[in-house]
Amino acid sequence: MSRADIIFLLPHLMLTLGAVLVMMAIAVRRNHFAVYVLTCLTLIVALYFLPKTASLPHNVGVLFVVDGLGVFNTMIIMLAALAVALMSYAYFDTREERTGEYYMLFILATFGACIMVISGHFVSFFLGLEILSVSLYGMIAYLRKRERSDEAGIKYLILAAFSSAFLLFGMALIYAATGDMTFEGLSGYFSAFDELPILVMTGVGLVVVGAGFKLSVVPFHMWTPDVYEGAPAPVAAFISTISKGATMVLLVRFFLAIDGFRFPVVLTIFTVISIASMVVGNILALRQQNVKRILAYSSIAHFGYLLVAFIAADELGVEAVNFYLVAYFATMLGAFGVVTVLSHPERDAELLDDYRGLLWSRPALATVFVVTLLSLAGIPLTAGFVAKFYLLASGISTNQWLLVILLVVNSIVGLFYYIRIVAVMFDSAEEREARPAGYVGNFATLLILVVLLVWFGVSPQGLIDVIRNLVGVG
Amino acid sequence: MNAIPIEYGLILAGILFMLGMVSVLIRRNIIFMLISVEIMLNAAGLAFIVAGSKWTQADGQIMFIFILTMAAAEVSVGLALILQIYHQLKTLDTDAANRMKG
Repeated sequence: MSRADIIFLLPHLMLTLGAVLVMMAIAVRRNHFAVYVLTCLTLIVALYFLPKTASLPHNVGVLFVVDGLGVFNTMIIMLAALAVALMSYAYFDTREERTGEYYMLFILATFGACIMVISGHFVSFFLGLEILSVSLYGMIAYLRKRERSDEAGIKYLILAAFSSAFLLFGMALIYAATGDMTFEGLSGYFSAFDELPILVMTGVGLVVVGAGFKLSVVPFHMWTPDVYEGAPAPVAAFISTISKGATMVLLVRFFLAIDGFRFPVVLTIFTVISIASMVVGNILALRQQNVKRILAYSSIAHFGYLLVAFIAADELGVEAVNFYLVAYFATMLGAFGVVTVLSHPERDAELLDDYRGLLWSRPALATVFVVTLLSLAGIPLTAGFVAKFYLLASGISTNQWLLVILLVVNSIVGLFYYIRIVAVMFDSAEEREARPAGYVGNFATLLILVVLLVWFGVSPQGLIDVIRNLVGVG
Repeated sequence: MNAIPIEYGLILAGILFMLGMVSVLIRRNIIFMLISVEIMLNAAGLAFIVAGSKWTQADGQIMFIFILTMAAAEVSVGLALILQIYHQLKTLDTDAANRMKG
């Protein structure tokens, strides 16, 4: 490993260092605030060491490709992690005595996601995914006294291990047929074929199944609502943003390398998955009374939308995926941030009733929630609208008319359940138990997220330029 | 000496994988589900070793070691969770551990 390699991997090395430091700090003395500050510092230092754009792309051995796509998404993941860390402090401070280990798992999970977005080899793909998953098992089941957290943890564990087995078997079949595990080498192999041999086809199919579980697209979505419901709210925010986003970026990288959409079979599979996710996600969300489950189904539908741009798989498509991820991250973090702030120590604020009359009792918080819900629904002047517009543009430019029409129809269906939550918040306030007071960190995070949502919605050009510059390099 | 064709190895791995998958789906005891997932992971590992020997590369075996390591980590977390669940429910039946629906 040369000096340059180490410099390019510095952000990731900082994260591992941070995890070790947190572990040692816990051994010396348990202090929630100190560990929390250490975690935030780790993320900030790691962000500071992100490679400069001028020097990209750079290959670190065969395992990692540090290019514009990777660096941009590493940055997004770390910023999202910072937001989740800020939310976690207030949340765990009131609920759990042993809080230190959470931050260790948290940094490691972030590290796994950051490895995934720069991986260019099956080994780094798999290891990044597993570091992320194994840390998440612990995080999901972290609140031991809560009734449903173990159930959510074991469900996620069995299904994640089940899906990694699919992923690994798929990789093994591809390796058996091609003798190569780097994305670069595979791209050479795949370009020689017009029709895929059956062994490779099966392999790609199994990889899609494995990644589909992580993305929680239909028909691999069954775990999502249960895990979101059982997991602590900040962890649910982590799963719905960082874990899914990293998998999506990895899929983009893999399918761009093998140029997968030349093959009609692959195209059909993803079209079906995309349509099924949009329709099923939205329809199941309609009859939910639980806000965390609504957000879970909404995230399923959103990844259905996102696949429209993924299927386009040209330059515009990749830009659209990146823009959508940024908008989706900010929106989901905002929504779960509100859930976190409103949660009681005994249970999370997940019932629709918990939000009744919120606009009159906590106007600022309710405004934040309204903005994030409108952004999820894709109403103009929010980032969600521009992101959806971008998806439509990339779908139209590649003539995916069926997908485009379904995207529009489903957005309208989605509007219904988002507006329903908003309507509940407008209801007259009745006498209720006092809602828990918040922490400064929470409100600062929420404020920044809302500003970003509106800013990207009103003038998206700045972000688009950044994405175009970075992704164009790679 | 006659070498064993690699198709045999892949077919064996495929059969093991299928058995593991069916077993995860029909078993109701969490420990057995965990064991079945291990069988699937090891089937994938076997496929990697077979593929590595076909190409006479070490990559397949390296991947197998990674899979073993990962499986061990997963099982340790899994067993810890199972202990917790057993303390709470006094059973390892997955139908009992199913309070979230919808």
